[in-house]
Amino acid sequence: MTEARIKPNPHAGLPGGKRRWPFHLSILLLLMPALLVPNYFRQVALFSGTGGLGERKLGEITIGPWKAQLAEFSVEEPLDQGLAGHIKSFALGLEPESATHVKASYMRVGKPRTLRAAGAIFYGPPYRQLVDLPIPQRTEPGERLWLTMEGWDGSVHQASIALSEASPVTEAWLAKQKGTR
Amino acid sequence: MDAISARPVKKKKTTARLWLIIHSWLALPLWALVFFICLTGTIATVSQEILWVLKPEIRANRPSAEAPPLGYDAVLSAVEKADPGVKVDFISRPVKTIYALEVFVTARDGQSSTLYVNPYTGAIQGTGQTYDFRFFMRALHGWLLVPFNGLTSWGWFLVSSLSIPMLGSLVTGILVYKKFWRAYLHPRLRLRSGARIFWGDFHRLAGIWSLPFIAIMATTAGWFLIQHILTYNNITVSTVGIPQTIAREDVPSGTGTTVPWISLDKAASLVHQEFPDLDPAYVQMPVNAYNHIVVGGRGNYPLIFETANVNPYNGKVESTRRVSDRSVVELVTESMRPLHTGDFAGIWLKLLYFLFGLLLSALVFSGMMVWTKRTAQATKSLIRDIREVRTSTAALEDGQ
Repeated sequence: MTEARIKPNPHAGLPGGKRRWPFHLSILLLLMPALLVPNYFRQVALFSGTGGLGERKLGEITIGPWKAQLAEFSVEEPLDQGLAGHIKSFALGLEPESATHVKASYMRVGKPRTLRAAGAIFYGPPYRQLVDLPIPQRTEPGERLWLTMEGWDGSVHQASIALSEASPVTEAWLAKQKGTR
Repeated sequence: MDAISARPVKKKKTTARLWLIIHSWLALPLWALVFFICLTGTIATVSQEILWVLKPEIRANRPSAEAPPLGYDAVLSAVEKADPGVKVDFISRPVKTIYALEVFVTARDGQSSTLYVNPYTGAIQGTGQTYDFRFFMRALHGWLLVPFNGLTSWGWFLVSSLSIPMLGSLVTGILVYKKFWRAYLHPRLRLRSGARIFWGDFHRLAGIWSLPFIAIMATTAGWFLIQHILTYNNITVSTVGIPQTIAREDVPSGTGTTVPWISLDKAASLVHQEFPDLDPAYVQMPVNAYNHIVVGGRGNYPLIFETANVNPYNGKVESTRRVSDRSVVELVTESMRPLHTGDFAGIWLKLLYFLFGLLLSALVFSGMMVWTKRTAQATKSLIRDIREVRTSTAALEDGQ
């Protein structure tokens, strides 16, 4: 036997060795943003209104003398916002003529008893306003959403839409909540 | 050399080696992702400047040297004249005077867009989307376009958690590089000694020169990670309180149609009177009849925007949010973003951030190259060693 020695590998412990290609696998992660580009532009269109009032249009709604378009902003379950509870967004687009007469619009789950309890107020330009509507977890399925509008002339008008029609996803979510209670 | 003096040297060598091993493992497995984030961030820093070069309509061309800039009211009436019926949501005066005003409007069909208005003539120079290249680069860099579920996106978690290996690389890099401060005075970049030597020299040189920049990026990004974890768990540290609304009795009634707001110039000057050091940079229109005109701008502390809420019916400044209204945690938190983007001092700082961003991207790339060349060399020398051993063994055997 000979006693020739092989020097110890000076790179022991360092990444690499025989198989180096796994260290380039993170390149594949870059495919993810590439695949998400169309979705990004769809969402951006939703926020700027170029994709329409909302993801799910509910059509025209008449509130007393005024007319508006209503939409479910995004088709998803109410979002848990911590202290604020579960929030669901709807979008409202007032007809230009109505926009000059309507002072404020509100939305609430269930019929409001007074104007002071009309619910969450819509915000944004009158042609595309949003509301962050709190959805109480105890809401019974089959409940209605009430839209209250207050005019600059002091008049108040109301209209309602079934929650199951306005947002089937929320209705299903409520049924699920009831099951877990 | 006796055993006593030899021991600490050996120990020092093994710890340095351990740091090198940690340093190599920190970024290498994800090097492409880290490189991509650094590169997109670098582009995002100057995305506004890129747009300025590409789109003449967003430039503020001054008709003559002494032309005074228009007030907000003049801008508003110019927009309303050009596009009747459109609702103005927001007027922004970019920090740098080379840019046109940005006026966000919503048309009757509910579509929002940005108008680029000449700040001196009121001419509408062009129309763009509310989301442009800047927003795309931010989304690509900040959360890899992974959609938000509520207020959080796991893309954000992924990107901001890269601050951990970045901070780790910074610390271990310093520990590996013995007496690195000497290289500030005696830089060494050997161009003709082979790729391995070049990339190694470059990696060390770029590393020591971007130490403060890496520290800023890693710290701010780490803070973004903490913030996102808090948001995910619905934990807030905000002292803002319940949103301010206008009292019902202060809003006119019985008018029939929309009541006009006070003039925007008046609102801006009222705010300026009350807070002389606040430089109004934007005006946000009330978002509904019970909401304020918000005038915002930077004061003495350049990293934070301060705001004042003006009642649009009686002109009273009803509430303010200034630097002094914020808690220490909020001050730190809100300072993190401008520190990360470098958008608070002018174009020179942006270009500096851009250069260091390029350097940081190159640092990631050169680190990977050092590893590639080093392991390639190591494998080669290992093979050579084995061959030499074999030939010498064969020679020995032949000689016998």
